[in-house]
Amino acid sequence: MAGMRPNWSMRQILLAAAPIAIAVFVFGASFGVLAVAARLPTWSVVLMSMLVFAGSAQFAALGVIAAGGSVLTAIFAGALLNLRFIATGIAVAQSLPGGRFLRSLLAQLSIDESYAMSVRAGEPGRPDGRTLLVTGALLYIVWVLGTVIGALLGPVLGDPKRLGLDAAFPAGFVALLWPMLSGHHAVRCAIGGAAVALALAPFTPPGIPLAGAAVVGLWLAR
Amino acid sequence: MAGPLAVALVLGLAGLSFIMRATGALLPNLPAAVTERTGGLAPALLAALVAIQLTGPTGVVRLDVKVPAVLVAAVLAALRAPFIVCVIAGALVAALLRALFHF
Repeated sequence: MAGMRPNWSMRQILLAAAPIAIAVFVFGASFGVLAVAARLPTWSVVLMSMLVFAGSAQFAALGVIAAGGSVLTAIFAGALLNLRFIATGIAVAQSLPGGRFLRSLLAQLSIDESYAMSVRAGEPGRPDGRTLLVTGALLYIVWVLGTVIGALLGPVLGDPKRLGLDAAFPAGFVALLWPMLSGHHAVRCAIGGAAVALALAPFTPPGIPLAGAAVVGLWLAR
Repeated sequence: MAGPLAVALVLGLAGLSFIMRATGALLPNLPAAVTERTGGLAPALLAALVAIQLTGPTGVVRLDVKVPAVLVAAVLAALRAPFIVCVIAGALVAALLRALFHF
């Protein structure tokens, strides 16, 4: 990285965001492929990426649907994952222009990657608002584009189960989880969440194991 | 999935996500004790999702092709392989084992 100093130029922001944009594009394409394979209508897959713009939440909701869960459980799983945006939203709110209404709209461009970039480009305790907006807008475009490509490509690939696409969900969840496991708080949240979900799964309807994991996550977070 | 259900899924998740992203701007004075805890949600839920994906219809872990698929993906993730590599490797392991052993 060119430097950690605040107030990056537009060129610096875009250069730093380029590799992230490629990764987000590929992530979007894999979401599109798997969502169509899970029999979601193509238009709804693209609409979800346009309106939700949160990879892990969309992936979680899709995983629930693909495993035969209900729409309510899927919304629940995705929404719980997005609860962390309340915390990042408070952190970036002071760095965004305009009044509360405009800020709450601009904050929609925050995802994990754009938030991380704004923290890197900002000063301690004050993420850089412009970096958040530029990176967020770029990643929004590639996320939706990737989803469109994936959703169109999906049906060409063939029988999802023969291709092992059902195993793609747990594999993807592991891949999303692993980079978060820095620090013992995150590790114990992960172990606790998995243990509670496995303990509840044989006795409770779908959704309850996830709710139990969420409670354990909140409880063990600090 | 039927159209109306897909609409419910998309709008439900989109609406809640919108509210969560807007909360910080609308209520900037939420106590840190509350917001700090939300950091524990993502690891706990993702780990729970992995675990639940490995269970069968009875809710008990079932030893099928998904287990080696997850193990391979976890090893690759630990080696800092990109997301897509972990996903494709997991799917390939499952597809290969199915083709070889007719699971």
